[in-house]
Amino acid sequence: AAAGPERPQVVSHIQQALSYTVFDCKWVPRSARLLCLGSAARGTGLVQLYELHGARLELLREIEKPKPIKCGTFGATSLQQRYLATGDFDGNLNIWNLEAPEIPVYSVKGHKEIINSIDGVGGLGIGEGAPEIVTGSRDGTVKVWDPRQNDTPVANMEPVQGESKRDCWTVAFGNAYNQEERVVCAGYDNGDIKLFDLKTMSLRWETNIKNGVCSVEFDRKDINMNKLVATSLEGKFHVFDMRTQHPTKGFASVSEKAQKSTIWQVRHLPQNRDIFMTSGGSGSLHLWKYEYPAQRSKKDSEGSEMGVAGSVSLLQNVTLSTQPISSLDWSPDKKGLCVCGAFDQTVRVLIVTKLNKI
Amino acid sequence: MPVWLREHSWRQTLTAVYLSLPLRGARATPANIFCGEQYLKVSIPPFLFEAVLYAPIDDTNSAAKIGNGNIFFTLYKKEPAMWDSLTLANADKEKLQYLRENAVLKAHEKAKEETEAKKITKQEHKKYALEATMKVEEAERKRIEDLKERERQKVAKELELWKNQGKDGDKYKSIQKKGELHHEIEQLKDGKREKMNKTRIPNEGTSKTRLKSTKGRVSCSIFSQNLREEQLPAPRAAATIKVNFTPRVFPTALRESRVAEEEEWLHKQAEARRIINSDLSELEDLKEEEKNPDWLKDKGNKMFAMGNYLGAVNAYNLAVRLNNKLPLLFLNRAACHLKLRNLHKAIEDSSKALELLTPPVPDNESARVKAHVRRGTAFCQLELYTEGLQDYEAALKIDPKNKNIEKDAEKIRHLIQGTMQSS
Repeated sequence: AAAGPERPQVVSHIQQALSYTVFDCKWVPRSARLLCLGSAARGTGLVQLYELHGARLELLREIEKPKPIKCGTFGATSLQQRYLATGDFDGNLNIWNLEAPEIPVYSVKGHKEIINSIDGVGGLGIGEGAPEIVTGSRDGTVKVWDPRQNDTPVANMEPVQGESKRDCWTVAFGNAYNQEERVVCAGYDNGDIKLFDLKTMSLRWETNIKNGVCSVEFDRKDINMNKLVATSLEGKFHVFDMRTQHPTKGFASVSEKAQKSTIWQVRHLPQNRDIFMTSGGSGSLHLWKYEYPAQRSKKDSEGSEMGVAGSVSLLQNVTLSTQPISSLDWSPDKKGLCVCGAFDQTVRVLIVTKLNKI
Repeated sequence: MPVWLREHSWRQTLTAVYLSLPLRGARATPANIFCGEQYLKVSIPPFLFEAVLYAPIDDTNSAAKIGNGNIFFTLYKKEPAMWDSLTLANADKEKLQYLRENAVLKAHEKAKEETEAKKITKQEHKKYALEATMKVEEAERKRIEDLKERERQKVAKELELWKNQGKDGDKYKSIQKKGELHHEIEQLKDGKREKMNKTRIPNEGTSKTRLKSTKGRVSCSIFSQNLREEQLPAPRAAATIKVNFTPRVFPTALRESRVAEEEEWLHKQAEARRIINSDLSELEDLKEEEKNPDWLKDKGNKMFAMGNYLGAVNAYNLAVRLNNKLPLLFLNRAACHLKLRNLHKAIEDSSKALELLTPPVPDNESARVKAHVRRGTAFCQLELYTEGLQDYEAALKIDPKNKNIEKDAEKIRHLIQGTMQSS
């Protein structure tokens, strides 16, 4: 690990108290603006647009919607349009033009219950292929939507008839390195992680990590899938090496028990895919670096290739709040700038220094 | 009786008295010597020496040296004067006693004072040490705070710089773009008029207004974006992937630390469902699994599925004997009896099942529907159509969306109307 004064420092730049519960916060791409999505006390949804202004956040716009909003993404929109896709407590997927937010650009009642997690791919000038949005819901289904097709999803991962459903808590796109390839990874409350291949429309891999899966993320969406981090309850997270899939053992992984409490989110640094930050139920943030092993794959006794997991080292950790930090987002434009939202109704803008030296 | 030591010798100066006391072989330690202001005692059992001094001495500074079978006292007089003798000659017993006690008391007091003083100095030392450490820690903390503050300011400045750069860059780009865009619009209008559809024109309009808005943009011109849209693949062909979950009985999320508790709970539940009716004498011949009503129920279900209705009934009978509080046993046995055309028994069992299925909650909805349907069927086969219809209607009430039940209920109504008409 790096020596004391050379370690990255997490500097808390701005703290903004909000009058509502914030569930998700996102940077607006190509700008110094951020969005906070959440639920007001009277049970309506709120979207607030802030801009960085010196040592404080200036509220530019506030949009209120009938249902509380749980999650949002810019992942499937073009850089010019920068439409926000949101999932709300009622299972509605909406895409909003923030300049004209009265009527959504796209709207569908995608799920019977709350949409817990949303991700988008194919937008923002990253990667290739159709823009798509994936939503995971408490009704146990994971659905992929194309904003050009109304009402029906282009892929639906639902429980077998008669099977009791489990909550899907998190979804993520990956492997979108050309126009055809794409995978969706979903994590459920019973510890299942499932990898769906959208090109072949089949289940490519599944495993169970023995604790409810709170957050999954590929290190990059738009490359041949490299690493996947899955965080769970009881303070654990697993890093899977996704380059080599063994026919029976699946993907190699290394796991780390970081905190005593739930790890709510993991987010990779957009500018360096081996650095990621985890946010915890104890209000702390941990910054990690993954180191690759000398050889990423080896042959097992029968001659099939299996992956070799590397190691994870803690670069820095800091406790910012007494309540869980439930959402985290790195700015894609300024290295080290990130925003996090916690259940103490505060959104914080942080700057992580010395990331160039890693 | 103590042995008095009397062979002492002494000499004096103006300020001091030197007393030499031979010990006659006894060994002396400092504990044996007791010295007050005007009273001196050496007690080495059984030897004893005491002297009420002629005048007070300074007992804190006086010294006694033990050695050579001798104690050598150096006593400093409080007032420099020559003493007539070492001890008070004309002291009577009472005065002696009084002086003695006084001396002892004074010694005690002195000892107390000394400990007090020691305590106080100790406390002060501690306080001082504490304050010193606090200062040092404070200094350290401040140093770290300063470092952090400097870092923060540096970083904040960088951020402002980056933000302003972004804004300026955008303004410049937008001015450029406006020029380019006009030019491109002209070109494309000429070249692509046929290809342009109605949707393009509103796009142009909105793009112009968008350029005027304050939101930042990097972007290509809208036309290149539309071209790119043509290169995007069509939306995927819709498909469904069926998912199986790792089974979990509890609706809550899985936590490793709770797994042990959960297993125990399940185990206890299973135990509770086992032998409720203890008829131990008959049950001794049964195998372990045969004593488990759940296992027997599964056996019965399998036999029913294979068509072995009598076997199934036997299994259910045994299960009921073990535990007659499980509604599903009666429910399934009713189904068997229906197949065997034991209609009265079927009605009995369905009724018992319904009894056990109180209170009527959403969880046992499907079971109650089945019970009503089976009883209804039995009634109808006994040609008791009104009772049968009652049961079917009860079933419909619970599950109004079931088409089969509706159809059957209709049929029964027709039958009733038919018989009424004919009678």
